[in-house]
Amino acid sequence: MAVRTADPDADLEAALADFRKARRRKRVADIHWIDALYQAYLTALIGGAAVLIGAGFVGDGFLTPDQLHRVAQNGPDWIGVVAATVIAVGLRSGSRGGPIALEHAEVRHVLLAPVDRTTAMRGPAVRQLRFLLFVATITGGVAGLLAAHRFPEADIAWAACGALFALTTMALGYGVALLTSGLRVPSWIASLLGLVLVSWAFADGANVIEGSPTVALGHIALWPLQFNVLGLIAIVVAVGVLLWGLTLIGNVSVEAAERRSTLVGQLRFAATLQDIRTVIVLRRQLAMELPRVRPWLRSRARGIRRFPVWSRGVQGLLRWPAARVARLVLLGAVAGLAARGAWSGTSPLIVVAGLALYIAALDAVESLSQEVDHPTRRNAVPIEAGAIELRHLPVAVVSMLGVCVVAFVAGVVVGPSFEAAEIAAACVVPAALGAVAGATVSVVAGPASASSGGDTWSLMPPEVAGMRLVYRNAWPPAMAIIGIVPILAARTAARHGASAPLTALAAGGAVLLLFVIVCGWVRQREQIHMWWRKQMDAAMPSSREREVADA
Amino acid sequence: MPSPMLVSDGATKSYGDLVALAPLDLKIRKGELVALIGHNGSGKSTFLKLTAGTLELSDGTIEIDGEPAGSSPARAATSFIPDDPVLYDDLSVREHLEYIAALHGVDATAEDLDDVIDRMGLLHRADDLPARFSRGLRQRTSLAIGVVRPFDLLLVDEPFVGLDASGKATLLELLDQFHDEGRTVVVATHDAEFVERVSRCIALRDGEVIHDGTATSKDVLRLVGA
Repeated sequence: MAVRTADPDADLEAALADFRKARRRKRVADIHWIDALYQAYLTALIGGAAVLIGAGFVGDGFLTPDQLHRVAQNGPDWIGVVAATVIAVGLRSGSRGGPIALEHAEVRHVLLAPVDRTTAMRGPAVRQLRFLLFVATITGGVAGLLAAHRFPEADIAWAACGALFALTTMALGYGVALLTSGLRVPSWIASLLGLVLVSWAFADGANVIEGSPTVALGHIALWPLQFNVLGLIAIVVAVGVLLWGLTLIGNVSVEAAERRSTLVGQLRFAATLQDIRTVIVLRRQLAMELPRVRPWLRSRARGIRRFPVWSRGVQGLLRWPAARVARLVLLGAVAGLAARGAWSGTSPLIVVAGLALYIAALDAVESLSQEVDHPTRRNAVPIEAGAIELRHLPVAVVSMLGVCVVAFVAGVVVGPSFEAAEIAAACVVPAALGAVAGATVSVVAGPASASSGGDTWSLMPPEVAGMRLVYRNAWPPAMAIIGIVPILAARTAARHGASAPLTALAAGGAVLLLFVIVCGWVRQREQIHMWWRKQMDAAMPSSREREVADA
Repeated sequence: MPSPMLVSDGATKSYGDLVALAPLDLKIRKGELVALIGHNGSGKSTFLKLTAGTLELSDGTIEIDGEPAGSSPARAATSFIPDDPVLYDDLSVREHLEYIAALHGVDATAEDLDDVIDRMGLLHRADDLPARFSRGLRQRTSLAIGVVRPFDLLLVDEPFVGLDASGKATLLELLDQFHDEGRTVVVATHDAEFVERVSRCIALRDGEVIHDGTATSKDVLRLVGA
């Protein structure tokens, strides 16, 4: 067997295109029409539900002239926030080897072959872009159509402008992602740029700072109300950025592309299974978020004999990478600002605050998560699993108290007053406890699935099993939101002339009780499960037991 | 003296504050058969991946026949056989080889492909999907993919792991054959039998070359063990 020689005149790109075409034909031929029909049915069902919910949210009645004036004034700013978010996502994706997630084998065999990388990447990019632009156009068009119910101009104009806004925003976001990838912009710079862009757009919306560039995109969506030439400039810029990005597509980092190809598939699968822990771990790998080799502080293993689990938690905490610390600070600030908004009257913002703290707490319970990830290691210790897991919670609470102090500062700085500081201080501990309780339940209970929980649940009617699934998914974040409820209690008390800080403290007592119950569940979970299993076995004897009984 | 095929000048790889390969200076001449040894974490695989272009240098340079690693001419000259076979889910062994040969401008006939497949002991499985094979058979497929295309430099990472005795014997024969034909072959391994066959064994420890020359199995134990 001799080593072959390459034909110098061979058209490698044409060979690649031919093989890709053949594979696509083969894949399409392998799809059964029933599967395709089911996919179409699911898409239509989800799309229909989204339109119905959207219609309910938008409402029907025409806006008053005053409201129309305000929409014309501030609408582009707030629509610009959506555009800024899409561009920020593009920046992050591009800095992590995106936006294309090639098949792992394609990275290894095609990108390492002497094929022109720009040609090799262009096909997958165009296919992905085509799909995203299609989805964006439909979404924007439907949103425009729903908005038209409240505006005097023709429906078709709103639908067309909505579609054009979404199309332009998506093209710009995708172009930015390609540029970020092609120019090899480091992840931290991309994240910073995204953060600045979104913050600027928000500040512009709140009339704190003017001149956010994404307002130009917002004008497109509101053209039927008021034409602004900035929208045209935004379209030209989006097309330019997209074309520039496509020319740089071959400059992709193979290392980042390979990491992305191996992780994105798993990430999607884990997200499909609602396996939050796996999603977190894979997302960290994708972002190369590695524990520090040198801890932030050198801590002697004092007390490690008496409190080994606590010491292990502290050691893990001291190795948190800077990106994780920054993320928790940011989430704390978001939670604080949202809580302040809830205090000022926008009650639904407690959901934003609760969810921000819940996401932060999923990082804070890292040492507990690792214990749950490796049950064999945990079970090798001659201590009950529940007892070990419970001992991980103090470190999580301490780290979440830090996050909630950031929230406290963010909430008070917006409108400093002694009363605001008192109320925020009363809410710090309940917020931390609620978030840790939610994250603990999420991690210890594991991913929810229709079949988890054993045969007993699999025998239940689909309606019951479905409700249980919803409960399993919704309960952990709901606990984090409950942790913020003292803010609402304090607000109600203040409106009725009672002491707001004392009311917040009293409501915090209820959150403390919830936390204690969760701790009890963590400690006694195994015993509760064993008891439940015994009851079920007694109620429904196995076939073998029935045979024995019959005999 | 033959000109250098592979030159590493201060090649470094780090992930944040974690150093995977400390600055490495190394020269491998054309036609050499080299064993790269070192304890776990010494940087062998990282060095091979940097040379193949799947990882990017944090600092320093690596040149293959005068071209920077990862550039188009370097990719055309370098065949990398990793320790974790990466295969398409929906291509058979034969289709894999057809595809890879075409991507490298090789007009391979069915007989040419069968020759490679047969040499790897996979002829009876040529039309099966290798993604469903056992570790050893996937490793053989990966080897077939690595040698069906033209190359001047062959990089092989831990090739003997997962191979049975016949697979190992075939691979050793092939590596000798490529060496005799004047190709440069670099194999990262802990296999003492292979190390004794080669004229140059480079041992790495924490990114530094601690041995460069012939080595016996006792030397391997000493160099890798401590």
